[in-house]
Amino acid sequence: MTLPDFTLIAPQIIVLLAALLVPGLHILTRNDKLVGMVSIAAIVAAGLYLGWMILEGVEGSFLGVYAVDAFSLLLTGLFLMVALLVLLASLNSVERDRHHGEYYALILAATAGMMFVACAQDLIGIFVGVELTSISSYALVAFRKNDPRAAEAAVKYLVIGGLSTALTLYGFSLLYGVTQSTNLAEIALAIGAAPSAALYVSMALIIAGLGFKITTVPFHMWAPDVYEGATAPVATFLAVGSKKMGFVALFKIFLVGFIAAQATVVSDMQYLFAVLAAITMTVGNVVALSQTNMKRLLAYSSIAQAGYLMMVLAIATEFAVIGGLFHMITHVFMKGGAFIIVAALCYLSMGEKLSDYKGLAKRAPVLAFSMLIFLFALAGIPPLAGFVSKFVLFSSAVGSPGAEMAGQWIWLVFIAVINSAISLYYYARVVKFMYVDEGESEERITVPMPFMAAIGICLVAVIAIGLYPEPVIKLCEAAAAALLG
Amino acid sequence: MTDYLLSMMLFAPLVGAVIALFMTGDKLKYARWVALVFSAIPLGISLLLLATFNSDGPFSSSFAWIETASLKIQYLLYIDGLSMVMVLLTTLLVFLVVLFSWEEKERPNFFFALILGMQTGLLGVFMAADYFLFFIFWEVALIPMYFLINLWGGPRRHYAAIKFFIYTHVSSLVMLIGIFALAFQAANIEGWTQLSFAFADISNVMFASGFQVLVFGLLFFGFAVKMPVVPFHTWLPDAHVEAPTAGSVLLAGVMLKMGSYGIIRICLDVLPDGAVAWQIPMIVIALVAIVYGALACIAQRDLKKMVAFSSISHMGMVLLGIATLSDIGIAAGAFQMFAHGLITAVLFMVCGIVGHNVGTRQIPLLGGLAEKMPNYAAFMMFGFMASLGLPGLVGFVAEFNILAAFYNWGNAEGMAWVIIIGLASLLLTAGYYLWAMQRSIFGPVTDKVDVSKVHDVSVYEGVSLAVLCGLIALFGIWPAFAWDLIFPVAEGLAAVWGVI
Repeated sequence: MTLPDFTLIAPQIIVLLAALLVPGLHILTRNDKLVGMVSIAAIVAAGLYLGWMILEGVEGSFLGVYAVDAFSLLLTGLFLMVALLVLLASLNSVERDRHHGEYYALILAATAGMMFVACAQDLIGIFVGVELTSISSYALVAFRKNDPRAAEAAVKYLVIGGLSTALTLYGFSLLYGVTQSTNLAEIALAIGAAPSAALYVSMALIIAGLGFKITTVPFHMWAPDVYEGATAPVATFLAVGSKKMGFVALFKIFLVGFIAAQATVVSDMQYLFAVLAAITMTVGNVVALSQTNMKRLLAYSSIAQAGYLMMVLAIATEFAVIGGLFHMITHVFMKGGAFIIVAALCYLSMGEKLSDYKGLAKRAPVLAFSMLIFLFALAGIPPLAGFVSKFVLFSSAVGSPGAEMAGQWIWLVFIAVINSAISLYYYARVVKFMYVDEGESEERITVPMPFMAAIGICLVAVIAIGLYPEPVIKLCEAAAAALLG
Repeated sequence: MTDYLLSMMLFAPLVGAVIALFMTGDKLKYARWVALVFSAIPLGISLLLLATFNSDGPFSSSFAWIETASLKIQYLLYIDGLSMVMVLLTTLLVFLVVLFSWEEKERPNFFFALILGMQTGLLGVFMAADYFLFFIFWEVALIPMYFLINLWGGPRRHYAAIKFFIYTHVSSLVMLIGIFALAFQAANIEGWTQLSFAFADISNVMFASGFQVLVFGLLFFGFAVKMPVVPFHTWLPDAHVEAPTAGSVLLAGVMLKMGSYGIIRICLDVLPDGAVAWQIPMIVIALVAIVYGALACIAQRDLKKMVAFSSISHMGMVLLGIATLSDIGIAAGAFQMFAHGLITAVLFMVCGIVGHNVGTRQIPLLGGLAEKMPNYAAFMMFGFMASLGLPGLVGFVAEFNILAAFYNWGNAEGMAWVIIIGLASLLLTAGYYLWAMQRSIFGPVTDKVDVSKVHDVSVYEGVSLAVLCGLIALFGIWPAFAWDLIFPVAEGLAAVWGVI
């Protein structure tokens, strides 16, 4: 018997080992800073190894459950980046709390879960990864267990998360029943052969189950409450990390099936996704207009962004996947950056209300400027990263290069564009608070280094990807080609 | 060499904007010098380009930018006669606006940075030869204006700023859908596997008529809101009334021209069949805008609001010229863009000065200012006369040719009488300007506001106004200077329809 090639999933193993090591290390040393640094070091090490894998063009399959290709490498890298940002933002945020070992271990475990989903080519692999992340994040939301808001958010998240897991699992089991396989490629072949009522039910259950993860309307209710109750770095993790994982899972299950199978179930599901996308982005943006709490505003904006990303599942062309992946990448930096600024200001006890941001431009010019860039990027203002990725994503609704222009999704792009304009209003409102209104205090704010490092990474990425998107688009093209075979 | 000159002209203001931002604390007073220097560079380069245009033009510059398996987006700049005139207008007005705002006291570093940043956006729109690039600059020009209105504006500035932002942003997104459709359809027809956004690639493609009509509508909507034409104009009076003078000058002087420039550069060039289908709607919209703008002017009490509505009327004139789809009409429309840019700058500066020096712009409260501010009154009279189309000044040349082209069109269509509508608007225009002038600068000195301590035009304001007035007269007497640049472009476009 030969051993499987463990080097293929080395980044995941590094992160998992670190997750196991960190609590023990904390018990032994009682050094809060040290465990944080070790966690960051583990992420960086995994990232370096991953970088080497990308440069070497490593490909392969681990036991037929985890595939390593351009798609999984790109997404694994993205999730590592999310973890790095969250850890940097956590270093100071949790310094007044206890249980550092557990906190960092949970973040690492959740990250490992996302990384497994990125590689999974099997329903079981997807499910295990999703659950690892979900269970870790329930605990993370409850981290400040004495804070009633956090406790409420955690219970809400746990109950809804448990329900969504049950739905997903039921959907998976039905899918297995219909197609006789848990392997995605084989499922795709089987779908093409036999669409049945059970298949529709299983798809609906999977959409509902994973819909909670990606905050699709009508499964979005938990998100604003949970983001508000959780600490800001954890909210960052949920908004930019675990949501992306849900999308990756959906991409794998539906797109791999969609493109391979040319059955009626395909176009039915596409229309369902189109309607869900339209509703999700509209609800997210319209409700965001009236928010007065920054975290809730970002939560609704996040729901709207989920709506944009769902367009990929409706359009289901390779070009749409390129746009979707690209938007996922830029979204990590834009939304991550904005959330980390919120985290920094929470840490400085500035408050989370929009009105607390009055006069921020005078008190913290760099922070206010970064926020301005992130918000404008989210609104899709050029020449920032969000513009280019929305440009590719929205354009994929109009057509694919080289293919006959169908015009089927033109209505969807109109809705997306109108939503984009609506979103500008609430983003501009935050900017107005920061730049135009006078604050009560003129006192300068200084933000600790780790926060500035995380914000700096996001800022550079948002501007650099906006000005020179070519390398990132190329990565996305390779990933999309790998995903769709 | 021109490669670098074009990019230098385009990005020098942006560099200046960043430098100006850092002029804080003790260095605050140097912000205006930074602005002056970095707006003089593009002005100098554009004059240099103008001087060599006949021998070396049109100028172009291209670099690969985003080249992947599915996308081909290039950094393409191109200056032909039409762009040259618009670039000149932009560089000139920004330079003069900096001079005009020399004594800005409130956060001058941020103020001048925004003006310079906007210049890069504006120049980019007139120079871009790739839809992606065009759209980027189109949006970039918008943001500084939002801040200019929001931070230095009048009492209702927040409302005006966000209204301006949303209106123009929605319109540009609709335009973006039109651009997507163009790019995909072009790739589809030509069998490209790479999506190309270059003007040159797409304008060679023959699109089906039905497609042209549809996409013309999308693009036209995007441009029409920016111009703006009735009924999409309501953001303009608000934005103008609340904007600071520098903002108003650039908004009316240059930014509105982005819309009409887009119609000429993109709609007419790429979608000739669409233009024919949309000709009658365009003419109707133009006439409505002209007459409605003029009528609204008569009713205004605020001098600045009157000038804002006159812009709607005059931009309607531009659209009327373009909509004739004849070489003279298009050239005259473009010339009117240039003329209106110069004239409206004078008008908004005049409004700014009266608001600042007297403390009110309400026409009924003013009166007899000529006695207190003789230089000011002279500039105001000159600006008003130029705007109402006095022969010998630049506005006359433009309007005369537009109406001539319009008459030709009407004659050919068997309804020569339509010219009466155009002529009537000239009468209305003369009416509201003369009436406003009579009430504000002539007659007995007002007793409704205290004008005993009012001082006349300052040196910086005077210099800016004098330069503009000089150019208005120069191009009025010798229009060929700009006309010869524009006309070949218009001729090239109109050749498609075989008119004249």
